[in-house]
Amino acid sequence: MEVTMIDNPVQNPQREQRAPAPAAIQPEEPPAFQVENLSVWYGKKQALFDVTTNIPSKTITAIIGPSGCGKSTFLRCLNRMHELVPSSRTEGSVRLFGQDLHARDTDASIVRRRVGMVFQKSNPFPTMSIGENVIVGLRLNGVRNRAILNERMEKALRMAALWDEVKNDLNRPGMSLSGGQQQRLCIARAVAVEPEVLLMDEPASALDPIATMKIEELTQQLKANYTIVIVTHNMQQASRVSDKTMFFYMGKLIEYGETKQMFFQPAEKKTEDYITGRFG
Amino acid sequence: METNEVGRHIHGSFDKALDALKEDVLLMATLTERNLNKAMNGLFKRDDDLCTAVIADDQEIDQLEVQVDKDGVAVMIRFQPVARDLRQVISAMKVSGNLERVADQAVNIARRARKLNHAPALEKLNLLEPMYWEALTIFKDSVRAYGDGEIDLALSLKARDKKLDDFDGKIGQEVTDGMAREPDKIKSYMNLIFIARHLERVGDHAKNIGEDAIYAANAEDIRHRTQAAV
Repeated sequence: MEVTMIDNPVQNPQREQRAPAPAAIQPEEPPAFQVENLSVWYGKKQALFDVTTNIPSKTITAIIGPSGCGKSTFLRCLNRMHELVPSSRTEGSVRLFGQDLHARDTDASIVRRRVGMVFQKSNPFPTMSIGENVIVGLRLNGVRNRAILNERMEKALRMAALWDEVKNDLNRPGMSLSGGQQQRLCIARAVAVEPEVLLMDEPASALDPIATMKIEELTQQLKANYTIVIVTHNMQQASRVSDKTMFFYMGKLIEYGETKQMFFQPAEKKTEDYITGRFG
Repeated sequence: METNEVGRHIHGSFDKALDALKEDVLLMATLTERNLNKAMNGLFKRDDDLCTAVIADDQEIDQLEVQVDKDGVAVMIRFQPVARDLRQVISAMKVSGNLERVADQAVNIARRARKLNHAPALEKLNLLEPMYWEALTIFKDSVRAYGDGEIDLALSLKARDKKLDDFDGKIGQEVTDGMAREPDKIKSYMNLIFIARHLERVGDHAKNIGEDAIYAANAEDIRHRTQAAV
């Protein structure tokens, strides 16, 4: 499968003529993910076809594409959530900073600690308080020291831009928060275990515009510390929040490049048809 | 999905809004060409009525420019265009600005023509005729390049605009000689020089329209590049 990489100056000579190179040459950061020839089947149905790509660290990568194109499957392969579908089968490899996540001897629970996930629908644990929701992952990982738990709870809630709103109500049920706050609580829960990557599967699709903006703003702050991969159906959201964008169609990665370039001059007609609403 | 043709949007009203925007720009281009034509005929035929009509009709072109900007902003707010659509909206707004300035040149020519019409005829007036035809052809080609997305035609405009600069220089030289021979007609000769300058500006705007056409079709910004680089 040939994927068009539009940030590659060899394929896009226009980009070569842009701003001069910075004075000091920065050493290139190793990619967070290296995906090679990844194919996924659910039973007999193939959902992903031979995807090969790298996802850079400490950037936000948006995944766009029509329903059923494989974007959520791809996202779930990044922390082995796809395995929760019993009939699933994969070929190829997904490496996180060099470690093969799909290898037989790699523990899935460790993968999911390194690669946190936030879902479309916020899912705080209904019987737990706000505070307990945040530290539940730490408890499961054996942290018992109350001082450490409190410190990590505050840190996570601050990172999720929720601390100021809930600091006096940490014992209230998590479910008592608004939809947007619940989603940020889930982000706090995800970052509390200090993962390296945050996967977000349409994290704001059920939220009002204000709550959506807060989540989007939060992603900008989080990318200083995390690699973020976000699946979204909202094209404006993809163009607002992401540094890079992937376009999937019928299980194939069609195009992957700098978001600004993708939304200004995509290299592939399929991408252009999709983002301009000419699809179908 | 298999052809390279630009398909229609799923949102039919988006297509309608983009089509309406382009139609308004092309209407502006037609009115502008007509005004330029009238202004030069007013000059060559010493017809004040034509010149006066140019000045009056310019208002319609001004209003269309405002309308194109308004509609362009409305499309951006309503549909949040990206890629080709975004470039189409931006280029429509930029082309309309250039057309409005070409129409202003027609008004300037009409004003100068009225002054010349009230003074004794100048033999050197015929120097403007080939320059006018060149300016008109370049202008029409720029509109065609924009309207039909003809990139090669758009690319040719930069070099052809140079030709108008050369015309302007030569006419300036010849008219200066005329001034020396007929100092009593200096005012009229000055008007002639200014008209040549206005025609030269028409070429500049046509070149800009060509650049906007390339931006819309190819997402390439060729402004301020040398001809060789283009």
